[in-house]
Amino acid sequence: MTPLGFEQMYQKEWAELEGLLDHVLGRKTGDSAHRVEMSGARLAALYRRACEHLALARGRSYPSYIIDRLERMTADAHQLIYHRREFGVARVRHMMAVEFPSAVRAQWRYVAVAAAAFLLPTVLIAFLVYWRPELILSVVNSETAASFEDMYSPVVDSIGRTRAATTDWIMFGFYIRNNVSVAFQCFAGGLFAGVGTLFFLAYNGAFSGALAGYLTERGLSPTFYQFVATHSAFELTAIVLSGAAGLRIGHAMLAPGRLTRLQSLVDATRESAILLYGLTAMLVIAAAIEAFWSSATWLPPAAKYVVAAACWIAVPGYFAFQGRRRAG
Amino acid sequence: MILGPSDVLDTVVAAETPEGILLELRPAGLTARFYAFGLDWTIRLMIIYAAAMVTTVIGGIGVAFWLVLVFGLEWLYPIAFELSPSGATPGKRVFGLRVVMDNGLPVTAAASVARNLLRVADFLPFGYGFAIVSMLLRRDCKRLGDIAAATIVLHQPRATSRMPLHTVVPVSPARPLAPEDQAAIIALAARAPGLTAGRLDELAALAAAASGDVGRSGPAVTRRVLGVAEWLLGRR
Repeated sequence: MTPLGFEQMYQKEWAELEGLLDHVLGRKTGDSAHRVEMSGARLAALYRRACEHLALARGRSYPSYIIDRLERMTADAHQLIYHRREFGVARVRHMMAVEFPSAVRAQWRYVAVAAAAFLLPTVLIAFLVYWRPELILSVVNSETAASFEDMYSPVVDSIGRTRAATTDWIMFGFYIRNNVSVAFQCFAGGLFAGVGTLFFLAYNGAFSGALAGYLTERGLSPTFYQFVATHSAFELTAIVLSGAAGLRIGHAMLAPGRLTRLQSLVDATRESAILLYGLTAMLVIAAAIEAFWSSATWLPPAAKYVVAAACWIAVPGYFAFQGRRRAG
Repeated sequence: MILGPSDVLDTVVAAETPEGILLELRPAGLTARFYAFGLDWTIRLMIIYAAAMVTTVIGGIGVAFWLVLVFGLEWLYPIAFELSPSGATPGKRVFGLRVVMDNGLPVTAAASVARNLLRVADFLPFGYGFAIVSMLLRRDCKRLGDIAAATIVLHQPRATSRMPLHTVVPVSPARPLAPEDQAAIIALAARAPGLTAGRLDELAALAAAASGDVGRSGPAVTRRVLGVAEWLLGRR
């Protein structure tokens, strides 16, 4: 069969498929008066026909304009037919109630390693700086150290606020950006065989430890600990989880098992997406608590510690027990 | 011999569909993606700047809104646009690019989130250094985030216009032609309008054996070779 004959024979089917695709994809067609009757079965049938025609056209080396046309319509139809919808209210609810805590439990080894990589430097540096406060100057310069003292001094009207910020909302915006950046760094560092993750975890742990040790030594512990107690339940957990996701992809690259290294990495990344959704939500919660609750000076410290205790029970409890039955 | 996409001297990546056909994906290289990124970056900067002018007037809550906006533009801007039907940020759309999965399907939410968060790794050591090295080294021009998320940035296929038919007399080939020879002669005829007359004559001379004009060249031979192409297309 000649190319022109081939084109003429199937021209009508192709035009119908293109019309359907333009209609579904919301593209402008030349003859908008011509309404297309949409039918999924018809689209699928035409798509399979076009696939056969494409194979034939390639096999017979037909001119490129015919192959291009068939490629374009099969590619569009392929996207439409095999498109996966991931989100909906039900999916988000299921994710919160079952998938996220189950995923954290399934990855508990990575969570444990990430927690150790974060907490060991925190505790170590905290005691070191408490013992020798001048060591804080090897972490930050003297001006920053002084501004920390300002932020957590008992006389401020809002704890943890820099002088430039005039409302809690500003601090909310600041915390979100800052904490999310730290968490995403910990995750992305996993691409360097997990070394980046370990570095960012230890670095941020050491920094927090230095701050805690220094402020405690300066006698500012009452304001500092009532400030960090509540939101840290969400914030530190989220950072450890992002580290766990990073370690997971790093480990997948180093020890791919029976998969290729690339496939192993792709699988691990896809499976860590659920952790990323969950921990981002946790960071938003943490930033809200940090800006509006933790910083409030009108609240009695006792109330903050009670709520903090409740959060520290609720968050680990959520990861330990939530969704066990339904996850099967 | 039939040329598969992998044999072609081009950066084409093939994705097989369940129907057993190969979709040809044309990955976008560093330059196109750099322009798209630059445009997106400029758009975001202009929004941030415009918002800053408005919010400084409002003060307090306005500044907070601005900070959240900066955060949103930094992380959610690419994700939101990639998950829209066009599968591309405005910058990518202007330059005709699109983000899809390795198998040619629309990018999934998990993949879009992963590839955009992994930007942090691509950015290292500075100025998207790893992304640039990775894109230059790989045939499919992926940055690290694309590799891990199994996504790929493509050139949107552009509609090719129908091949013009030449006003020449169809000539039946002087000898039987193998399929790839037929394809080459038809391809020459398709390209003819874009070639200068001299170059067309040179190229047609190479195929002169098809019309039985071995060793000769010139406009007359060219017309006869184009005539063979017409004959092969089906004009008799």
